[in-house]
Parts: sequence; C-alpha cells; structure tokens
Amino acid sequence: MSQIKRSPEIHDVVVIGSGAGGGTVAHVLTALGLKVTLLEAGPMLDPAKEFKEHQWPHEVDHRGAEEGGAVYFGRGKPFGYFTTTNGGWELEGEPYTVAEGSEFRWFRSRILGGRTNHYGRMSFRFSDYDFKPYDRDGLGTNWPISYDDISPYYDKAETLIGVTGTKEGIRSAPDGVFHDPPPAKAHEILIKKASEKLNIPCIPNRRAVITRDLNGRPACHYCGQCGRGCLTASNYSSSQVQIFPAMKTGKLKIIDMAMAREVLTDKSGKVVGVSYIDKKTRTEQELRCRVVVLAASACESARLLLNSKSNRYQNGLANGSGVVGRFLMDTVGFDLSGQVAALEGLPRYNSDGFGGAHLYMPWWGWENQSKLGFPRGYHIEIGGGYGMPQVGSFHHAASRYGYGKKLKEGARRDYGTHVAFAGRGEMIPNNHSYCEIDPKVVDQWGIPVLRFHFKWTDYEWKQARHMEQTFAAIIETMGGTVNRLSTAQRQRDGISVPGMIIHEVGTVRMGTDPKTSALNGFCQSHEAKNLFVCDAGPFVSNPDKNPTLTINALAWRTSDYIAEEMKKGNV
Amino acid sequence: MSNNRTIPAPDNDLSRRAMLRGVALAATAIASGQLSLEAAQHVHQQVKEEKKNAGTYKLKLFNEREYKTLGRLAELIVPADEVSGSAREAGAPEFTDLLCSQNRELADIYTGGLFWLDAQMEDRHGVSFLDATEGQQTAMLDLLVEAEKQEGERRAQGLTFEDIQRYQEFESYGIYRPSELSPGIRFFDWVRRMTVDAFYTSEIGVKDIGYKGNTATSKFEVPQEIIDYALKRSPFASS
Repeated sequence: MSQIKRSPEIHDVVVIGSGAGGGTVAHVLTALGLKVTLLEAGPMLDPAKEFKEHQWPHEVDHRGAEEGGAVYFGRGKPFGYFTTTNGGWELEGEPYTVAEGSEFRWFRSRILGGRTNHYGRMSFRFSDYDFKPYDRDGLGTNWPISYDDISPYYDKAETLIGVTGTKEGIRSAPDGVFHDPPPAKAHEILIKKASEKLNIPCIPNRRAVITRDLNGRPACHYCGQCGRGCLTASNYSSSQVQIFPAMKTGKLKIIDMAMAREVLTDKSGKVVGVSYIDKKTRTEQELRCRVVVLAASACESARLLLNSKSNRYQNGLANGSGVVGRFLMDTVGFDLSGQVAALEGLPRYNSDGFGGAHLYMPWWGWENQSKLGFPRGYHIEIGGGYGMPQVGSFHHAASRYGYGKKLKEGARRDYGTHVAFAGRGEMIPNNHSYCEIDPKVVDQWGIPVLRFHFKWTDYEWKQARHMEQTFAAIIETMGGTVNRLSTAQRQRDGISVPGMIIHEVGTVRMGTDPKTSALNGFCQSHEAKNLFVCDAGPFVSNPDKNPTLTINALAWRTSDYIAEEMKKGNV
Repeated sequence: MSNNRTIPAPDNDLSRRAMLRGVALAATAIASGQLSLEAAQHVHQQVKEEKKNAGTYKLKLFNEREYKTLGRLAELIVPADEVSGSAREAGAPEFTDLLCSQNRELADIYTGGLFWLDAQMEDRHGVSFLDATEGQQTAMLDLLVEAEKQEGERRAQGLTFEDIQRYQEFESYGIYRPSELSPGIRFFDWVRRMTVDAFYTSEIGVKDIGYKGNTATSKFEVPQEIIDYALKRSPFASS
C-alpha cells in the first residue's frame, strides 16, 4: 500500500513559497476571486513571537551574543540575534554542495514571508536599458519583455507596498509612485556634497517603507529596526502586507512546514499537482490542482523542476532547453569604510531613521560606459550614524585604544564618525555559474540537493575595483581617512563571496525561444502551460537593482495573466 | 569558595515578558486595523518602564576568586570616570560567567587565561593578579597591549600567522619571533571584547556613548545646528 496521502480535492492554484513572489501571487489571485493554496517550507509567522523590534540588548541575558557566546565563534544567527531571519546560509538537514574550484553560499529562509521579513527593502525599478542588455553591449541576453510591459506593474506594486522616493528623471533609476522620503542624516549631507563634487548623483533612498498611513498600516515611526520585522507593518513584508490580508478573503489556504518535492504531470505533459513532505509528520502528501506557481526562490524552484522528471520530461520539467539551473547570477558586492574628522564631537542626535540610509547613489556611468573598462554598473548604499550599541559595535575601538580611560574616551570620540559604502553591481551571466542536481546527495527529506558552480570573471573584478576607487574618492573628498585594504585584504575581500549578497537570480530564465529559455514573457513554461515561476528564477539578467521590487511586479503581471488564461479556459 | 554566592543581577527576564506583552498588544491592534503611532509608542513605553534588578545573580561557572579577577579586569578595561560607571558595574563579570557556563570552549579560554595571567604575575611580581597593586596590574596589561600592537603591525605588513610559521628560520632576525605573551594577548582580547560588549550594551553604556534612538517618533528630523556643526568642520565649509 502506498504511504502517500492523496487529497481528492482539486485546488485552483497551488503556490510554492511565500516570499515576495508567492506573497504577490496569493494576494492578487485571491483578490481576483481564485482559491489559492500556499505551501511554505517553514512555520507560520507570528509577529508577536518572532519580531524583536524595540528590544534593548540589555533586556536579554546574553545581550545578543546568543547562548554560549555563539556570535564570538561565528556561529550566531545571520545578521544578528535581534533580526527576524529564520534561515541562513546553512540549514540543518537541508544541505547543498559546491563543486570543487567554486565558491557559493546559498541563503534560504524557512518561514512565512521568507526573506521579505528581514530584507534591506531597497526598491529600485530596472531601467529601460536593463531589459535589453545584449543590445547595449553584446553581452548576455535580452529579456522578452520591455520596461513598458512591466512599468504598470511597478506602479501597482509600489502603490500597494509603499516605496519612498523623489522624482529625479535619472535614466538608470526610473521614477515611481512614491511616499515622501525622510530628510538626510548629518553624515549623509556630507556624503551628498562629496558625491556631487565628483559628479555622482546622490538622491533620496527608495525603500519599501511607508511615510504616510496606507491601507490600515500606520506610517513609519523611525526606530530604524526594519530588519527585526516591523510590529506596525510600516514596511513591506509579503507576510504582513499581502498574505495576512489575503487570508482574510477566505480564499487562501496556507500549508506550513511543507517541503515541496516534485511537480506532478500527466502523460500529456500537463501539470496536475504537487507532492510535498509534511515536515510535522514526515509523510508525503499530494495535492491536485489546475495551476502550479513556483515561487520557492530562484535556485529552489530550479531544483524542484530538475527533480520533477518523468518520461515526458526526462531532463526535468520545463527543461527541454537545458537552461534550468544555468545562468545563475548574484550581485557584485564590495564594501569600504572610512572615518570622517568633521563628524567628531558632533552633538548626539537620534539618527535611527527609517531603517536604512536616507540617501543612495544610482548608477551614473551609463553614457560613458566604454571608457570605464567594465560593462554595466552599480549603485552605492551608505552606512553611518549612531547605531544602537550592540555586541561587536565597539570591538574596533577596543583594539585601537587598548584599555582604560583611553579606551572609554576613544570610543566616545569615534562613535558615529565612521561612514561605509557598499557597491551593488551587475554581474554578466557566464557558463561557469550554475546549479545542478548533485547525483550523490539527498537532504533529510530524501530530496536530491543542488550542487553549485560559480565563478566571477574579470568583468566583475574590474567593476569592484572601480567601486573601491570611487568610495575612496568620496571619503577623501569629505575629508575622511579611508580604511584602505592591504594587498592580502583585497585578495580576500576585494569582491563578495558569491551568494553572500543574497540576490541569486536567473536559473529558470524567460525568453522568446523555447530552445534557449524555460519560460515565456509571462513566466509561463513553454512546455507545460499551467506551470509558472514567480520568483527571481525568470530573470534574464541581474541589473544593479535589488531584485525584490521586480519580483513583485513580474509576479503581479503573471498573476493577472494566470487569472485571464484560467477564465478563458486556456490553462 | 562558593559557587552559590549571590550578587545583584545585571538584568533579568522580566523585561522580555513585558516586551512580549507590549508586542501582543501591538499585534492585536494590527489585526483590528487600529494601529497608530500611540500604539507604537506604547510598545516602546512598556519596554522603558520595566523594572530591573529585582533578582540576584548566582555564579554559574567561576569560583569567587575567578569572578573577582574578572571584575578587576572589567574595572581596568572600562573604568568608572566622571561620565559613567565601570564595566564591572555594568555586569561584565556576570555576562562572562553566564556565557562560559553555557559553552565549554569559552569556559576553557577563560579559566586557562586566568591561570596564565596569575602565573605570569607570580613570575614577575610574586603575587596573583588580584592581589597585585594597581601599578603591577596595569604594567601587565600594558605589556600585552604593546605585544598585541607589534603583532598587529606584522599583520599589516601582510604577514599572516602562516607566513610567520613558514619563515621561522628567520627568527634570528628578530622580526618574526612569536611573543611569549601570545596566549595572554589572545586571552586579553577575549576579555576586552566581552567586557566592552557588556558595558556598551548596558543601560550605563548606552547612556555613556550617547545613543538616542530606539524610540517611536512621528517625524524624522536632524536639528539644523547639528548639520551646521558638521558642515563647518568639513571641506564644504565655504560652499
């Protein structure tokens, strides 16, 4: 007798994953009257239990160092004890492997809302030229859609989730539907002056935070703790902004602790359902449905497709082209800091703000790209100000000033005088960067795991060196001292470890030609018409804009298309 | 010597419970769609109003002598001054005791380090660290800080520990000689980092450093005099 539990019910749409993509699909489709069943591999989110917003370190006996001082041994929670991450680069019982000669770290969330509960909330539209990268410089591949196709959905997404910003008319950073941004912090005013002197635009940041009340969500209260999860839902997370409201429609069913194993198909190739492991009972279950939407994250969705093999799909589902898992991209990351004399002795003020920098620098070099020596570009994120004292905040002062009165006075003098710059740039897809099924390893649910291959190329390295020069120039222009890298440090920290920026995209890419792409421009499988992918898997390139807002917009557009096609009886 | 000595606690878990109550309240408000700045402020207020130090602290790992030595180290690392109290007053020894009691690896670093420190003091001054004069104590710490600085300079020249190992044959040149103080440098770095963490995450430390945030406010503003202060001292003073 089979151990598999099969439910006789035929669901309208099964969505796998509850992050930015899954949350958007659930929200839009339930609003259009469809019944959605959402599978989440982690537990339900309970903000009252999970969110540590407003908590002081001294209210916890370990102060944030975690039990046994785990953070001192590099074994602490990613991004710190107080953040609301539930997941990380390593998950117990759910391994992945990395091929020899490669380096890749895969971040996965296991909770309702996924990474949107704690992400940086940078919300940048792709530019018109970002959709046609091949036309621009002959590298990579064009998207099958254009800015005009997605622009109305950027509008919808921004209107729902709320994004700050100002109309700037900068081509690399198209304007959107904005909430007023908060004013610049003191150190940012100096950074803006320095940037402008170097002809680098420095404009109000675009973050998914509301600064006026919106749909029952109160405006931001400027505690600066978005990463801990917002108790007042004044920032965007798919859990609070899309899924909880969708649950109120009565049309959304959530199955938590459900690890999808395979997408099921019939002999004609049509998707008929999903099999998953119920982690609570360690049993396999099957759901039947009319449409499946994968939104499990780019690599997890690729894994699911590659693991969904049948006679009809011997290469894995939707993978006749062989592109599933290929063209894996992360963002190029590089950070540099410095100390600014003008900020010494500044009267203390509350610089928490809205949970991130209030200004940022969009890419400015698209017109003289050929002179730069590397393709594409990057934007710059800013750090600085008077952060809440946490475990680790004053280690630098400690080793600098020794001990005693000197240490105490030095810490006071240095506090708030550091500025940091983080470049976030575009990687060119290459043949050495992909994921595939490791034939030898399964996870604790018996599901074959991913093996990663990844290499930066000279394009990325040169871009990171341009970041280094630019950040040093900004710091020096504002009269600061750069914390310069030694040759050994540059070797190690000169470019981010692949996967560490957590912008992995591109593994189930869209395109017009079924021979070179898995999905069409509506994120619909070329081969199985009732299968869709709504995370960053469909991305054809990885522009220097953080992917979440584009996941939202694409998923919204796909949801409208799904509802229409279902109404017409096409899927 | 007793492991059951009681001393005032740096904090207790009342605070967490009070916080959760506040959080639950805010979550209810979200569900009913009545959330406002007042509700957000309420959460912050509850956190502020909790009572502290009702309980007492029982040593979990260290003996009384070790605990006192850690207290002395904490006082030397972050001493009391005209602005604020010391790291000992901010609960550094209790913080260390708690974490060490939960982690054998950390406990060994500390018990081993304290033995090393006392042995060095006996060798140099014929007295344990705790019983030494302040001058003897600071002389020891100064030695460690100086040795650490030299190590740091070697690192800055691009010499990793592995390089140093590889070029041990050049020891006679004196450049690469590992210091006999190396174990002490490591230990002191541990004590200092954890002492600093305990101090600056305490209420005393937060006040000392002047952090003004973790509040709810309806508007973000930077006072003009602060902007003027920064601009006046910057290269953009005249612009």
